[in-house]
Amino acid sequence: MRINTEEFIKSIDGEVLTDTQSLQNVIIEGGYVSDLLSDVMGNARENQVWITIMKHLNVIAVASLANMSCVCFANNVTPDQTVIDKAIDENVCLIKSNLSTFEIAGRLYQLMHQ
Amino acid sequence: MKWYKADLHIHSVLSPCGDLGMSPQAVIDQLIDHKIDIFAITDHNSMLNFNTYYKKAQEYHLSCIMGIEVQTQEEIHLLAFFDSHEDGFAFSQALYDSLLPIANDPDFFGDQVILGDNDEILGFEEKALINSSMWTLDETYEKVLEFNGFCYPAHEDALSFSIIAQLGFIPQQPNFQAIGITAKCIIQNLFTKYPYLKNYTLIRSSDAHYIQDVASGFTKFFINEPTVAEIKKACSGIDGRKILS
Repeated sequence: MRINTEEFIKSIDGEVLTDTQSLQNVIIEGGYVSDLLSDVMGNARENQVWITIMKHLNVIAVASLANMSCVCFANNVTPDQTVIDKAIDENVCLIKSNLSTFEIAGRLYQLMHQ
Repeated sequence: MKWYKADLHIHSVLSPCGDLGMSPQAVIDQLIDHKIDIFAITDHNSMLNFNTYYKKAQEYHLSCIMGIEVQTQEEIHLLAFFDSHEDGFAFSQALYDSLLPIANDPDFFGDQVILGDNDEILGFEEKALINSSMWTLDETYEKVLEFNGFCYPAHEDALSFSIIAQLGFIPQQPNFQAIGITAKCIIQNLFTKYPYLKNYTLIRSSDAHYIQDVASGFTKFFINEPTVAEIKKACSGIDGRKILS
């Protein structure tokens, strides 16, 4: 089931770190929670939002590799500008939120099952 | 130049997971039995026991290199080495200050024992050393350079605390010349799984926490003298220096 991206961002009081103009191209059909990149490479699926507190540059490469539409940083984690620039290059949407991973995942789950 | 046999990853009794049987005398006896020329005590996030092992090594004319195993913010283990003891201790202090202020739980993790010159217990480190620094991988690499050290990621074939486990693959930056592997690593299998690791020099070591494991993994360096600077050059094969892992 596809989620309305703007509705998701609103529900987690999120801030978009990448291009806000292309949000309609961001497809969200589920979520994956992990802070181990090797785990994400093995188990994440296309068009999931990846909720994490990891902010290394490799996060973007892994998201791109797994065709994930969007990375959501929890706990107000803010990546460096080089990471944001790379995400823009790779067409990966970046969002950050003050909420914890648990809260973000919970709200996404609610949106999907309401 | 000549060949030196080295085990660059050994824990002392300071590491909470290090067995109390890892006294300086016991470690050095084991190293001599296995004809090791160079070793490093690489405790988690601290060098508090370096002097004790260093002094004991001098009695036996073994080269004891100053080392430390750093746990970065991403929970990656990096081995860092220093020729200058002043630089090493300054690095160690800066790293200690960057650790999260969490107390060690000896019942769960084991004691963090600080030893004197005669194997007597001087005290216990209270801050949990099995803990992450606030420094990221990139920041830690920069810090090591700032204190004139040399570092490489530890046990890349292990399933935990390695760059590949934490970050999925080894990033282009920082530009490591070498990566560490464990005593049990079968290099051919490692290269089959991760072909790009062929671009790195491999350094095998024991990561010993128990006395019987000391020297179970080692690397041979063809170098001028047993120093960090020479080992670093050997990793890039400079001027005929070589490595066998």
